Amino acid sequence: MTATRVVVDPVTRIEGHLRVEAMLGEDGSIREALSSGTMWRGIELILQGRDPRDAWAFAERICGVCTTVHALASVRCVEDALGIQVPKNAEIVRNIMYLTQAVHDHVVHFYHLHALDWVDVVSALSADPAATAALNQKISPSWGLATPGYFKDVAATLKKFVDSGQLGLFANAYWGHPAYKLPPEANLMAVAHYLEALKWQREIVKIHTVFGGKNPHPNYLVGGMACAIDLDSDNAINIERLNLVKRQIERAREIVEHLYIPDLLAIASFYPEWTKIGGGLGSFMSYGDVPQRGIDDPSGFRFPRGVVLDKNLAEVLPVDPRDPQQIGEEIAHSWYRYPQGKDRLHPWDGHTEPAYSGPKPPYQHLDEQGAYSWLKTPRWKGRAVEVGPLARLIVGYAAGNAEIKEVVDGALKALDLPATALFSTLGRTAARGLETRLCVRWLMDEFDRLIANLKAGDYSISDTRLWEPKTWPARAKGFGFTEAPRGSLGHWIQIADGKIANYQCIVPSTWNASPRDAAGKRGAYEESLVGTPVAKPDQPVEILRTIHSFDPCLACASHLYGPDGTRLAEVVVR
Amino acid sequence: MAAGPEPPAPVLVLGVGNLLLRDDAAGLAVLAELARDPDPRVEFLDGGTQGRALAGHLGGRRALVVLDAVRLGAAPGTVHVLRDPLGAAPPRGGSAHESNVGDLLAAACLLGELPQAVVLVGIEPALVQTGLGLSAKVAAAVPAAARAAQAELARLCAGVPEEGAPCTS
Repeated sequence: MTATRVVVDPVTRIEGHLRVEAMLGEDGSIREALSSGTMWRGIELILQGRDPRDAWAFAERICGVCTTVHALASVRCVEDALGIQVPKNAEIVRNIMYLTQAVHDHVVHFYHLHALDWVDVVSALSADPAATAALNQKISPSWGLATPGYFKDVAATLKKFVDSGQLGLFANAYWGHPAYKLPPEANLMAVAHYLEALKWQREIVKIHTVFGGKNPHPNYLVGGMACAIDLDSDNAINIERLNLVKRQIERAREIVEHLYIPDLLAIASFYPEWTKIGGGLGSFMSYGDVPQRGIDDPSGFRFPRGVVLDKNLAEVLPVDPRDPQQIGEEIAHSWYRYPQGKDRLHPWDGHTEPAYSGPKPPYQHLDEQGAYSWLKTPRWKGRAVEVGPLARLIVGYAAGNAEIKEVVDGALKALDLPATALFSTLGRTAARGLETRLCVRWLMDEFDRLIANLKAGDYSISDTRLWEPKTWPARAKGFGFTEAPRGSLGHWIQIADGKIANYQCIVPSTWNASPRDAAGKRGAYEESLVGTPVAKPDQPVEILRTIHSFDPCLACASHLYGPDGTRLAEVVVR
Repeated sequence: MAAGPEPPAPVLVLGVGNLLLRDDAAGLAVLAELARDPDPRVEFLDGGTQGRALAGHLGGRRALVVLDAVRLGAAPGTVHVLRDPLGAAPPRGGSAHESNVGDLLAAACLLGELPQAVVLVGIEPALVQTGLGLSAKVAAAVPAAARAAQAELARLCAGVPEEGAPCTS
């Protein structure tokens, strides 16, 4: 059988590149797909031999956006290794920082990265401002900015920007493609809200500045947090600073409830076919997060821990990331070498040794039969699982979590869709928004918990009794985790004689973008693309929609090939 | 970042780059050199790889000096001073994970918050790969880049910037 091959390869300074190759069948839909990380990184090697207490500051630089999540996973793995329990205030402050990151990241993803897959910026120029205002008032009556004058101004700003030739910020899309279904007014509304989100995103991060001392790159501390809190002191986080945090949380809730969610539901209603495309593996994993009674008690996590296999919402399987029988990384299709006789390693014994065997760049295409990626292949009990917002909601839904069921069922009802619609590209995009609703709600809950604890007289923010290496065992190993915006993030550390002996991270995008495993089973991106119809192979916006629905950590390039093996398109997904 | 009500310093010196990618961190090394000389008119900020997410730090400034690794095809270690960086580093419209200085400036421009004067001081990298520490040629260029940035700062702090705004919207 012949195939059309679409290849989507860009330059990034962060996570490395992602390359997607899709082979089209005779019917114009994707028959086979491969996802490849095309840049060797090996961040872990930088950490070897260093002081474990410093690891978070390096880990924080792994990712350009999710600085806090790597820092959090890092301090947690060191604390786990050394048996340190952080004080209640530190648990709460970390939760507040975590939830702030999640809300910020998801809103930015929706408006600034993913919306352009659904919204035609150029079409917005032909919208009628009055009709746009009416539309906005209809979908979000409480949003105060929906006037004809406002939309007229936005349209003028946009026109000036486009006329000045600076469409670059919006360049990553295919204006006028028939796959764009929104009327001009919905497009203008979305562009206006793109700008509102751009203004707001710099406000919300002030919460990180308050608790982390600075932003970007807020301070973390093994044993707790590095900030002093005293309601009445001028030299600590006092009631005035905490009121600033409270105002930011209130504003974030307005943005999510009156901007993000109404826009999400309105845009989704124009694309019902995308509830049937892009479902992928149907198996999901969440480590869980947002602890209420310490990190060692998953039963107190707001995001539950577990695995759901094969879309079976009747069963949640337990997950133990410390168990070598459960989590393992394979390299059957990766450019790495393992010690002799090993084909799968638990991250505590993980090994990072490059062994490139791919074609010399630039190349036409990669070979899915051989090694084709710089990403390893993480698996849970040998199974490929998807991680991320959809995984968290599916695991929580299956576990019967009341809050998660409430927001999920509410959205399904609003869009008149069955629960099976979740297993799709649009389901993934919607799940991100729905969990953001929970995150802003929990932000205020955590804030109230903090105030209550402080008012009860507990000002303790760190436990430094085990700070000195002489108090540590000669050898120790630990696991630290978080549910990052993109999914389950794990750091595994081995400490020997006060130094890092081994450090391994499995980041969310490695779970989702991994190449095939030894058994030939595809990773989440790969599986989600199979069966997707591609209307115009030279403008594969459909690939962008599905890959972006995962919020890829790696910049992505997609290459599409035709039935005769000729290259049809090479587009940057990012 | 000014989390309180006080207005930001009129000049922002923003170092960007990934500390874990050798010469990509050239701008951060120049920043560290400059920050040894505090000035009440100047705020020094390590922006890491945040790109567009840094837009909030630009509003209310009179001038912006960006320090970065800049690949223009010159010999490694060459110091570049660009007074129209929006033209030199066009936005890529990419993901938040790789949005570049161009994206940052374009986003600020779209919001009408781009400082009136923007200068980019960069060093041509030799080695952008995983690892800590600058290559010898780039490390040797850091003092010269810092001097170039100081000259720009002196000019920008002295009075109203002479350069026209790179964007007008």
